[in-house]
Amino acid sequence: MSDEIRRLSDELARDPSSLVFLQLGEALRKAGQLDLALKVATRGLERHSHDADAHDLLARICVDRGELEQAFDEWDMVLRLAPNHVGAQKGMGYVLFKQGRLEEAETHLSGAASGDRTDPSISTALRMVRRLLRYARLAGNGSEPGPEELAAAQRRIEEEAHYLFADILGDSEQTALLLNSDGLVTAGTYVTPEGTDVSQEVGAQLSGVRDDAQRTVRHLDLGAWKTVLYETDIAIVALAPALDEALVVVAASHDVPLGFVRRVLDRCVKRATMWLSEVG
Amino acid sequence: MSSPFEDVLATLIRQRGVLGCIVVGESDGIVVDANVQVGVAEAVVAALAAALFRRARLSSQSAGLGRVTFLQLEAEKGHVCAVGREGLVLVTLAEPRAHIGLIRGAMLQSVEALT
Repeated sequence: MSDEIRRLSDELARDPSSLVFLQLGEALRKAGQLDLALKVATRGLERHSHDADAHDLLARICVDRGELEQAFDEWDMVLRLAPNHVGAQKGMGYVLFKQGRLEEAETHLSGAASGDRTDPSISTALRMVRRLLRYARLAGNGSEPGPEELAAAQRRIEEEAHYLFADILGDSEQTALLLNSDGLVTAGTYVTPEGTDVSQEVGAQLSGVRDDAQRTVRHLDLGAWKTVLYETDIAIVALAPALDEALVVVAASHDVPLGFVRRVLDRCVKRATMWLSEVG
Repeated sequence: MSSPFEDVLATLIRQRGVLGCIVVGESDGIVVDANVQVGVAEAVVAALAAALFRRARLSSQSAGLGRVTFLQLEAEKGHVCAVGREGLVLVTLAEPRAHIGLIRGAMLQSVEALT
C-alpha cells in the first residue's frame, strides 16, 4: 500500500463522512486495486448520493473493470446532477464510441471540449470520432452508417495512419511516428531491419524526452520548445511538437546529414498537423 | 585551483551567442565546473540539461538506438546543447542567433576532456 493511499485511508477512518473517499477511490483505481476502489466509491455514495464527482469516480472504476453499461448509467446520473460535468461528457463519449454510436459520442465529446479546451485527450478523441463518422458516411454513400461502414472507416483510418509519412520518407533509411499526448502511436510505423514493428515500444520510450524538454524550457524561460534532436552512434533522432500535444518523431541512420533530418522532421510535422486538423 | 575543464569551457564560451557552458554530473545534476555570463543560473541550467540528456540516453538505449553522442534542444528563445561521457555532461546554453553547427563541432571535440 502506498503512503498516499495509507494516509487517505487513515483520514477517511477518522472522518467517514469526509469527501476524501474521492481521492482514496481514485488513488486505488490508479493503483489497479479496482475491487477496493469500488468498495470505497460505493460506500462513499451511500453518504453522498447527490455528489456528481462520486458518481464520476464510480463510472471510471466501472470502465476499468470493463463494465461499460454501468459506467454509462453512472455518467448519465452525473449529467443529471451537473449537466456541464466535463469528465462525464468525456466518459459518455468514450462509452458511446466503444458502442459504435458515433454521432452521440461526437455530441458528448464536443460538450467536453467546450468545457475544457486544455485537455488534449478530449480534442484527440473528438477528431478521431469525427474522422470515423466522415469516412463511415462516405462508405455508406450518405445513408446512416452501419457496422460494415464503420469497419470500412476504421480500415481506411488505419491505412491512412500507417502511410501518413511514406512519401516524405521515401525509400531511405528513415522512419517517422506521430504520437499522441499519452505517447501512443497515432500514425506512422517503426519497423526494425528484421521486419518487426516496434512502433509502440519506441514511441513510449521516446515520448518521455518531451516531458523533460517541456520542463527545461519552462524553468529556463526559453519559450515554447521547437525540436529536440540527438545523435547516437547509430542513429539521429529528432522530435517536434504537433497539434494537441502530439509529438512527431523522426529517426534516421547516422549517415543521413543532420540538416536533411531536420527538413524531413519539418515536413512530417506539417503533414501531421494537416492530417490532425482536417477534421477540426 | 584550476580545473581540468577550464580550457574546454573557455573555448566554448567564446562561440557567438553562447551564454554559458557547464560540466555537470549526469546522475546528480551537480555542477562540476562552469563558465557562464552574468545572470545565467548555472545550477538550474545544469540540473535540467543533465536530466534531459539522461532521459534521452536512457530512452535511446531502451529503444535500441544506441549511445547518445550529441543532444540539442531548440526553443523560441534559445538552445541547450549537451554531450556526455563517463557520467559527465558538457552543457551549452545559447541564444537563438548562435551558430549551432560551430558549437556542435566544438562540443564534440571537447568530449574527450570529460573524464
